[in-house]
Amino acid sequence: MIRNAFSRALVAGRAGFLQVAPQSASVAGCRHMSKVAESDEQLTARYVQYFESKDIDHWWLSKHINDLAGTDAVPEPDIIKACLHACRRLNDIAMAVRFMEIVHFKCGNRVKEIYPYVLQEVGPTLNELGIPTPEELGMDKPQLALEDVYDM
Amino acid sequence: MIESWIAMATVTGTLLRRCSRLSAAAAPLSTSARALGGGGLPTVVERHGNRMVIGYGFNGEPNYIDRVDYPIPAVRFKEDNAQIKVLREKERGDWKKLTKEEVQELYRATFCRSFAEMQAPTGEWKLVLGGTMLACSIAVWIYLFMKVFVYEKLPDTITNPEKVEAQVQRMIDLRMNPVQGIASEWDYEKGQWKN
Repeated sequence: MIRNAFSRALVAGRAGFLQVAPQSASVAGCRHMSKVAESDEQLTARYVQYFESKDIDHWWLSKHINDLAGTDAVPEPDIIKACLHACRRLNDIAMAVRFMEIVHFKCGNRVKEIYPYVLQEVGPTLNELGIPTPEELGMDKPQLALEDVYDM
Repeated sequence: MIESWIAMATVTGTLLRRCSRLSAAAAPLSTSARALGGGGLPTVVERHGNRMVIGYGFNGEPNYIDRVDYPIPAVRFKEDNAQIKVLREKERGDWKKLTKEEVQELYRATFCRSFAEMQAPTGEWKLVLGGTMLACSIAVWIYLFMKVFVYEKLPDTITNPEKVEAQVQRMIDLRMNPVQGIASEWDYEKGQWKN
């Protein structure tokens, strides 16, 4: 199911929600014991709608990004693009760079397969908005060290 | 033990006395300076100072913590100062005009550690492994000390080969442990050990 979805997404350029684990992405932040589980397309559409709302503020941006970080999946390129535009509306490039780091992290141990695809899809938006990727900033390697409290 | 009880009672007593300064109707359930009219403890809200609150945080308090599973904390990492304000003004314009150093400045103002730094190996395993082996070697030294200085000599019935042979012969004669034990190793027809 993962492989099918992934190859479909690569070849046709549409759909399957990129999954790292072979179960549908659980909806973050709400219980659904009596409701039907949401499909991947519905989740994507919902998050795109959240990020595209014109009056989004930092609180909602944080909440939705943290919820996405809590889901067991890599965000769809549509969600990523909407989120980057939301960061632009809020004039916050740090959040945009952090979000790209989050996407890289969510790829898990299949980062070599998934992340280049993500960059390929989202690259035009990154160039258009002028957001450097964490690799361009040198942040894919540790730069600063935080002193451990036990060593102080 | 008693001391800790006394300490806790003292702290509770102090808090209750401070709270009881106010009338019963207006006594707030708070130990903050604002609520008690001077004295008291700083609230979590006051402790975050000038930092901009950007979200709910992982527990609802305006604190900062680096977590890979909750990546956007409640507050920015650094308080706003003059340099950051200049960069933020520049941030409102075209991001293509920001240099890489400026983007990093802005990132570090909001976040303490990047993901790579959060996940960087600490080398703690060497400390743990070394400490464990040290403890094990101390245990071995203690055993050797006991063997040399504490234990008595082994009794004659173990060290003397004739006596051991007599005991084994008795076990064979009594057919002790005939299924899987010592008597099962002896061939009774031929009168010798099985091989």
